[in-house]
Amino acid sequence: MNTKLNSFVVADPRKCIGCKACELACAVVHADSDGKTVGTVETPIMPRLFLVKTAEVTMPIQCRHCEDAPCANACPVDAISQVDNKILINTEACVGCKTCMMACPFGAMDLVPKYKDGQVVTQNGLMSETEDGLVEKEVMLAHKCDLCVDQPNGPACIRVCPEKALELIVPKQVKRKRNVEAATNFLDSVKNFFD
Amino acid sequence: MTVKTEGIIKIDKELCTGCRRCTGVCPVDAIEGEKGQPQTINVERCVLCGQCVQICSAYASAFDEDIAPREQKMEERNMLPSVKEPLFASYYTGHAPTVKKVLVNNSLFTMVQCAPAVRVAIAEEFGMPLGSLTPGKMAAALKKLGFNRVYDTNFTADLTIMEEGNELIKRVTEGGVLPMFTSCCPAWVKFIEQDYPELIPHLSSCKSPQQMAGALFKTYGAQVDGVDAAKVYSVSVMPCVCKKFECERPEMKDSGYRDVDVAITTRELAQLIKDAGIDFNGLPEEEFDKPLGTYTGAGTIFGATGGVMEAALRTAYELITKQEIPDVNLKLVRGVEGVRTADVKVGDLTLKVAVVAGLKNVIPVLEAIKAGKADFHFIEVMTCPVGCVSGGGQPKVLIPDEQANAYTNRTCNTYVHDENMEYRKSHNNPEIKKIYEKFLVEDNIHHLLHTKYTPRR
Repeated sequence: MNTKLNSFVVADPRKCIGCKACELACAVVHADSDGKTVGTVETPIMPRLFLVKTAEVTMPIQCRHCEDAPCANACPVDAISQVDNKILINTEACVGCKTCMMACPFGAMDLVPKYKDGQVVTQNGLMSETEDGLVEKEVMLAHKCDLCVDQPNGPACIRVCPEKALELIVPKQVKRKRNVEAATNFLDSVKNFFD
Repeated sequence: MTVKTEGIIKIDKELCTGCRRCTGVCPVDAIEGEKGQPQTINVERCVLCGQCVQICSAYASAFDEDIAPREQKMEERNMLPSVKEPLFASYYTGHAPTVKKVLVNNSLFTMVQCAPAVRVAIAEEFGMPLGSLTPGKMAAALKKLGFNRVYDTNFTADLTIMEEGNELIKRVTEGGVLPMFTSCCPAWVKFIEQDYPELIPHLSSCKSPQQMAGALFKTYGAQVDGVDAAKVYSVSVMPCVCKKFECERPEMKDSGYRDVDVAITTRELAQLIKDAGIDFNGLPEEEFDKPLGTYTGAGTIFGATGGVMEAALRTAYELITKQEIPDVNLKLVRGVEGVRTADVKVGDLTLKVAVVAGLKNVIPVLEAIKAGKADFHFIEVMTCPVGCVSGGGQPKVLIPDEQANAYTNRTCNTYVHDENMEYRKSHNNPEIKKIYEKFLVEDNIHHLLHTKYTPRR
């Protein structure tokens, strides 16, 4: 049995300046174009982490790769599963039902149109009524952080953050660190504790 | 003095998140605002270098329903409706739709010029590797777009060297104001005019290559083709946003008309090429037109920091000593440091030169000059971090760690281009020799190729 806890990326809201460099890099490394400049981008920017900016807080929110992932447990077509300690979406199976979106307590799940070779992919039968008449409706897919599973250098958001506000959390390491801190603190107060 | 392109660089209030990264690259502290709030640009201070446009990552999300529609934003920015790329908070108002209209106007005779740094960057917008060198494809694309003459700013870069080289020799030998400053970077010129007007006499009186080309298109160029100068429409393609400002300076009409009618950036040219459905990557290479499109390696290195200095030294050496320069590669003025200095032996004379890249780096140098503590003869200044290859109008790199790579490759290929040119010294350019024989005389040289500057305070 694999008892290793899933890692996830989280931003320090005290450091985040809200520049959206993470969102942009996220969208770029997941796009199927290998262009390096803005002019090569022909599809909308579709990040997998989402900047929150309110009067109180500025930081991006992204998937926690929950151990008991509500999105996966709610998915009616088993399109979400855990692979190598990451919660991943099988977009081939996704039907765009939005149940995962509703189930996620972080709002980390999005639904976005499917693009292939710079063109939006449309459905076989379902039509949508628009100002231009009936058009084929685009395929919509669940969309969230995959921890840059295909990136050799790890999550792009962490790499590009100019404030180094994003961090890959390895839960057991953090727990271990906390244990050591607690023990050290305890040593200082041990006298009062045991008399 | 207010020029209408002042304020051409703007920050979209709906998109700006107030991260203030742009304030870190603005060389003149022209960006104002509270942290976390939308920023504004002080147009009096702004030198239109466009570095804020390059760093901005606050893009407009296609799925954000709380902001004005993309079509509206594109219209405000004067972009071609066919453009698909994402929009960012910091932007410049474009001129591509103007050029598109002009190209279908048969009553006009269109002439275009391309700055040195455009040819090492434009292919990036079509997915080619960063810094790809494609002068032939660029010339072919401009012909396909329908320009009647595809000329080159590199030709007038060579001409600038002839004029500026002679001006330097004159100042050094006849006791003129020294050090002499280069004058090809319009942001640097605006900066001197507004922040150091007392140093204006140090600026070379030479117009920039863009403006020399503009003045020649509607005089010599019109003569060559036997067309009415009034019908010539002059377009420039620049790696620079400030060139839009420069071409609209009120005095830039020495041909009798607006010398450069409109300046577009490298990015805008790529957008025009895509709009016309031209397959850039598949284009067979073509030549620039003669006579105003013939250039040397010295002209093309203007795109890199130190390039104007190197080109000037190649020519000054040979004009002063009447001997061939021992090594045409003057590597001592190349590099990426903000300030580089060198002593260059030119016959009996030792020329003390400095090269500055990044406008902020020039301030200590200017203060030293004012204090009488700098004995340079000649100083090249470029506003952008490593010269025009890193200009505000160049393709915007998506991933920040790849920007350094882009700059290195663009610079490297600029020198590769120089090394592979038949002629590498401006005074050897056959069309430069010809224009001095056939057209340029003392009177029109002063009128067409030189200018005056305006204190702005």
